[in-house]
Amino acid sequence: MTERVRILDGNTFVVSDERGDMEVSPTFPAGFFSYDTRFLSTWRLTVNGERLQSLSVDNLQYFEARFFLVPGEPTHYVDAKVSVIRKQEIGRSLEEQLSIFNHTGKPVDLTIRLDVGSDFADIFEIKNVRKHKAGKRYAVVEDGRLRLGYERDTFRRETLISSTAPAQIDEDGLTFSVRIEPHGTWQTSLHVEALGGRGREIRTSLQGQRGRPRPEVRRDQDEWLSRTPRLECDYEPLAMTYRRSLVDLAALRYTPLISGGRTMPAAGLPWFMTLFGRDSIFTSLQALPFTPELAATTLRLLGSMQGSKLDDFREEEPGKIMHELRLGESAAFEEQPHSPYYGSVDSTPLFLILLDEYERWTGDGALVRQSEDFARAALGWIDEYGDLMGNGYVWYKRRNEATGLVNQCWKDSWDSISYRDGRLPDFPRATCEVQGYAYDAKLRAARLARNFWDDPALADRLEREAENLKHRFNRDFWIEDGQYYALALDTEGEPVDALSSNIGHLLWSGIVEDSRAEQVATHLVGPRLFSGWGVRTLAEGDERYNPVGYHVGTVWPFDNSLIALGLRRYGFKEEAAHIAHGIIDAAQYFQGRLPEAFGGYDRELTQYPVEYPTACSPQAWSSGATLLLLRTMLGMEPHGEHLLVDPAVPEEIGRIELLDIPGRWGVADAFGRGRY
Amino acid sequence: MLSDMSDPTGEFFDQLGRRGHERLLAQVSGVMRFDLDHEGRTDHWILAITKGDVSVSREERHADCVVRADRVLFDRITSGEVNALAAWLRNQLTCDGDLLLLRFLTKVFPGPPDAHDPRPAARFPRGRR
Repeated sequence: MTERVRILDGNTFVVSDERGDMEVSPTFPAGFFSYDTRFLSTWRLTVNGERLQSLSVDNLQYFEARFFLVPGEPTHYVDAKVSVIRKQEIGRSLEEQLSIFNHTGKPVDLTIRLDVGSDFADIFEIKNVRKHKAGKRYAVVEDGRLRLGYERDTFRRETLISSTAPAQIDEDGLTFSVRIEPHGTWQTSLHVEALGGRGREIRTSLQGQRGRPRPEVRRDQDEWLSRTPRLECDYEPLAMTYRRSLVDLAALRYTPLISGGRTMPAAGLPWFMTLFGRDSIFTSLQALPFTPELAATTLRLLGSMQGSKLDDFREEEPGKIMHELRLGESAAFEEQPHSPYYGSVDSTPLFLILLDEYERWTGDGALVRQSEDFARAALGWIDEYGDLMGNGYVWYKRRNEATGLVNQCWKDSWDSISYRDGRLPDFPRATCEVQGYAYDAKLRAARLARNFWDDPALADRLEREAENLKHRFNRDFWIEDGQYYALALDTEGEPVDALSSNIGHLLWSGIVEDSRAEQVATHLVGPRLFSGWGVRTLAEGDERYNPVGYHVGTVWPFDNSLIALGLRRYGFKEEAAHIAHGIIDAAQYFQGRLPEAFGGYDRELTQYPVEYPTACSPQAWSSGATLLLLRTMLGMEPHGEHLLVDPAVPEEIGRIELLDIPGRWGVADAFGRGRY
Repeated sequence: MLSDMSDPTGEFFDQLGRRGHERLLAQVSGVMRFDLDHEGRTDHWILAITKGDVSVSREERHADCVVRADRVLFDRITSGEVNALAAWLRNQLTCDGDLLLLRFLTKVFPGPPDAHDPRPAARFPRGRR
C-alpha cells in the first residue's frame, strides 16, 4: 500500500500518493476534491518518460506538502543527476510549485510531462462505485491553459489548469521541453482551479458573489491555535495527541456558505468533509472548553437547516435537525437525498443538549434567546414525529427505502443493532442511547425555559416528562439476567438484548438509576467490553461481535470519550481515568491522530491498536475525543460563573496543567496530578 | 400537474403577504428579489423581511439577495413539486447575495404533495392489528 498524503482546507482537499501523484484507486479516493466533486483524478508527473520515486515527504502543515523525488523506479540505486521538489498547497485552489534541479556540470535536456485528467466523480460515486455518468465530459485546450469540464443539463463543473512556465498543452496534460544549465534549476507554478455551474470558482458560483476575503490559511491557523488552552504535561503521548488534535480540528473546520464566514467542524477526511448534524454537534460539545465558537456556529447553522415540512425522500419532518448536507451532482439530481438529508434520530435531542451546554460554559444567553424557536420546534419533534410508535420513546424507521439509512443512530451501519443471538430486530427501533439523549434534552431545555424563555410552565412540564421517561426506561430497557440496559427496544416493546457501548452514553445522559450505575460501570471496564485500549462497540461473546466490524466490535475514541465523561458523572473516577489512559496510549501509535475507529482485539493479544481499514482520518470527533478526555481527567465543570476542577488523572500520566481555559469566567487554569 | 389557469407563484407571494408575519422567517431580515423569466420577459417579486414581518411588492428595487429562475420552475417550487435547494445545486435557480435568506425562505415553500406522515404507518403497519 502506498502512503497517502492529505492536504485540506475545509471541504477542498487533495489526497495524493507519496510522490504527489494522484491516480484513481478502487479502494481509496485519490484526487483533488471540492464541494463533494472530484476535480482531478489524474495528476501524474514523469521526467523523460520515467516515474519518480519518493525520498521523503514533508506534510507538517495540513494545508501544504512537499515531496522530494528523483526519477526512476524505487528499486534502482539512487544516483540522481536530477532531482525534483514538488510543493502542493491548498487554498481555495490547488497550487503546485514544481522545481527540477540539475546536479551535474553539464546542461541536461528534459521532457517533463504532467498527465492530467478528471472524472468529475461525485463523492458518492466513489463510495458506491457506479458505471456511467449521465452527463458529458469535455476537454478544451485554451490559450495557455487546459479546461476540463463536465456538463449535465444546467449542472456544470470545470477544472482549469495553467502553468507559469510555457507548456505544450493537449487534452491529456502538459509537456515542458526544457534545458537546465549546469547546477541550474527549472521551475514552474501550476494553478488548478475548481469552477462551479456559473463558470466561476465553485464557492463563488454557488453563492453568486465573492465571499468575504479569506484570511491566509497559515495565519488563520496560527491565530486559531493561539486562542486554545495551553497544555503542560510530562506524559509525551498526551502532549503529542493534544497538539495533533488541535491542529486536526483546525484543519477540519469548514465554512458553510451561509455562516457569514464563521467556521464549524466538518466530520472527517476523506468521506465526510461536509456538514453533519450529529458529528458537528458531538465535536462542538467535546471542544466546548477549548474553542467554544465552534458550538455557536454549529447551533446557528443547524437551526437554519432545521426541518419545516414532511418530505419522504429526505426524511424531513418539522423540527428535525438535519443529518447530512452535500453539494455535488448526486444531491443536485436527487440520486441521493442530501439536500439536506434528515435521516438521524439523535441530532434533534443532541442539538438541545449542545445549546444548554454551550450556555453553561460561555454564558452566551443571547444565542439561547435567539434559538428559542428552533429549540421549541426540536422539543416538538421529540414528542411528535420522534415518537413514531406513540408510546413515549424516540424511534426510527426509514421512509426513503432506496437511499435512506437503515440505522439512524450513531451506529448507522446495517448490522449494528442486533440481539445477543445475532438476529436483527424489525423496525421501528428505539435504541437506548437516544432515550438518554431525549431525557437529558428535556431537563436541559427545562433549565433554558426557566432562565431564558420566561416559561416556567414549560420547564415544569419538561421535568415531569423527563422523570416519567426515566422511570419507564428503567423498567423497559433493563435486562435482569445480564444486569445491563438493552441496546434497543423492538416493535413489540421487547428488549434487543446485546451488550454494547451504548450503555456508557446512558451514564452521560443521567438516565441510569443510581442503584444500577455500578453494574453498568462494571460492564464497561469488564473483559467483554473493555479491550485494554477502550470500550468495544459490541461485547465479545455476542453473536455478531467482530473485532474489525465497523460498529460491532471496534473501539471508537469518540464513543469512549463520552463513556468516560458518563462514568465521572456517576462518580467512577478510576474507571474514567482507566479509559482515558487506554485511548491516549492508543493515540501514540497513530502519531497522536486518533482514527475514527480501531480494532477491538485484546490489547494483550496485538500489543498495538489495529487501525480499521477504511476509517476516516483525521476524523473530527476522534480529534475531539482527546479534548473531552482531558476535560474528564481534570473533572472540569462550569458551576455558576466559575470553573470547577476535580481531577482524577491516571498515575502514569502524572501532572497535567491546562492553562487559559476560555469561558464565562474569562480564562481559568486547571491542574491535576496522577493518582488513579 | 398544474392546470393552465393556476398561478402557484402568485398565490405563494399573495398568501405570504397577507399573513404579514411568518414565524419561520423570524431569524432573518433583508430584501429578496425574484427575477422570474417567463415567455421572454422577466417578472419581479420583492419580498422584504424584518425578523419575520414580511411585505410583498412588485416594483424593482435594491435587494440583499436576487433569486433568478424560470417562472415555470418557480411555479413547481411554490407548489412543492420541485425542491428549491436541489434546483439551486443544479444551477436551475441561482442566488446572488445573501444565501441565508434563500435558505430560510425554502422552509416556507410547501413540501412534496405526496409526502406521508410517518406515524400512522409505523403504528399500524399492514398485516398487524
